[in-house]
Amino acid sequence: MSVGLDNLRHIVVLMMENRSFDHMLGGLKKKFPKIAGLDGNESNPDTDGNVVTVAPNAIYRGQLAHDPDHHFPGVDLQIYGGVPPLTGRVANMNGFVKSYATQGTGTQGSHAIMNYFAPEKIPVLTTLATEYAVFNGWFSSIPGPTICNRAFAHYGTSFGNVDMNMFLVTDADRKKIPTIYERLKGGGQSAKLYYFDEPSSTMEIVNLIKDQSFFATFDEFAADCKSGNLPEYSFIEPNYSDHPGPGGGQLLANDQHPDHHVLAGDKFIASVYNQIRIVPNLWKSTALLIVYDEHGGLYDHVVPPNCTADGFTAAEAATGVPGLEFKFDRLGIRVPSILVSPYIPRGIVVPGTEDPANQRIFEHASIPATVTKQFLGGNDIGTDREKGAETFLDLLGDNLRPDNDCVFFKM
Amino acid sequence: MALEDAPTVEVLKFDEKEAYNHDRRISSLIRTQLLHLHHAENIVVPPKARTNININQLLTERQASEYIQKVTRLLHRYGKASSGSKSKKKRNKRAKKAGRTSGKKVLGNQSKTNKIAVTKRSSRK
Repeated sequence: MSVGLDNLRHIVVLMMENRSFDHMLGGLKKKFPKIAGLDGNESNPDTDGNVVTVAPNAIYRGQLAHDPDHHFPGVDLQIYGGVPPLTGRVANMNGFVKSYATQGTGTQGSHAIMNYFAPEKIPVLTTLATEYAVFNGWFSSIPGPTICNRAFAHYGTSFGNVDMNMFLVTDADRKKIPTIYERLKGGGQSAKLYYFDEPSSTMEIVNLIKDQSFFATFDEFAADCKSGNLPEYSFIEPNYSDHPGPGGGQLLANDQHPDHHVLAGDKFIASVYNQIRIVPNLWKSTALLIVYDEHGGLYDHVVPPNCTADGFTAAEAATGVPGLEFKFDRLGIRVPSILVSPYIPRGIVVPGTEDPANQRIFEHASIPATVTKQFLGGNDIGTDREKGAETFLDLLGDNLRPDNDCVFFKM
Repeated sequence: MALEDAPTVEVLKFDEKEAYNHDRRISSLIRTQLLHLHHAENIVVPPKARTNININQLLTERQASEYIQKVTRLLHRYGKASSGSKSKKKRNKRAKKAGRTSGKKVLGNQSKTNKIAVTKRSSRK
């Protein structure tokens, strides 16, 4: 066991919303060739057959006012370019522009889906990606929307759901496959889901209503960091809406869901990082994972790989794609994911599918798999998918980087 | 080595006032959140304490967040009452007292409110 792992007491996961790897981090490849981002010549055809090439023209707000499609049929179009199932089709990541055109953008407006951020425009995320470890092969768990993808982070499965319908887990199902929070509590450990505030809240309150001890707000996260009361496992949800704050203030959505202001999210990521960074003992004993739930319909050039099926099947009626029954045996589109710890050397790039000999494929089931392995010593509970998922704590090494080598964000 | 020695990176400033728009129409994510919380409200919160808000009329982020705040508070309040051994004891005490005064057992009715029904769209192999 490495010194870093031996000293690890806390895992914190911050899950942001709806941005693809290439959209947020693809521009880093130019300066950091190991990062599997964009060469600049990747393209998609539009509905008129014109070639639309990727461009570093993403802006913080206003470009994606039409929410890009990220429901199962939309993502199927993005991955397969519109070729229907049962035709021997091959995934080519060619349908993003066509998919965005279905959202009422017009042909010209649909080109915006190929834009990505120049790294200097989102300095917090890109700094963390290059200062610590970035995953070239972290994929959303399902080629579909938010709810079912977030479920993989909590349960290691979505219990067969691929859509945005009601996600209610029965007591019987949860007894077979408990949330990571329940598993930890059952094992004598602690876990909390920190939602931003009450007006933003969390959907998991519906499934975990019977145990209020799992819930707290982001203000309480900050207090728990300072007081040394952070649980073994923390899951942080950002603010999902612009809404009035206490005392007449205004709170900006900071989840980065289109078309919320991307810099509000960059600032929030810095805030989570700084809360941990400024407490010396906490900093040395915590691993922070920053990850996005799914790609939000935005372009990524990497074909999602196959994966271990999780034992569920979504019927054709549930997928919404004629002729397609989904067995949860293919991952969704790639998302940004960064692991932070002072025990991680600068500039670690974890290889993905671009390096078949050394590739390591991660997805959101890797979260409960890792947490269970670290704090409960293993897992006999989860699905085969979770049991087979890659875990990420081996990235923590023996050497503690000194304070003058670990960045701090000036707010 | 102190934190003051740490290299700093500036978080980019932007006009937060200009960016703020609580009249933005809600996304499918927030719509789904409303549906979930509304469902939980109907199951966990006693009828007299419910908001009686028609979520189909909530169109903006501000409207949605006001509802979400109210229901989150209610869920914490009434969810709490149905969990934890301490509150269970209190509830039993209350139920016994109520039973003594009214001559009826009320505990069974209360526990019914916490059951969540599920419609499965997919099947396990």
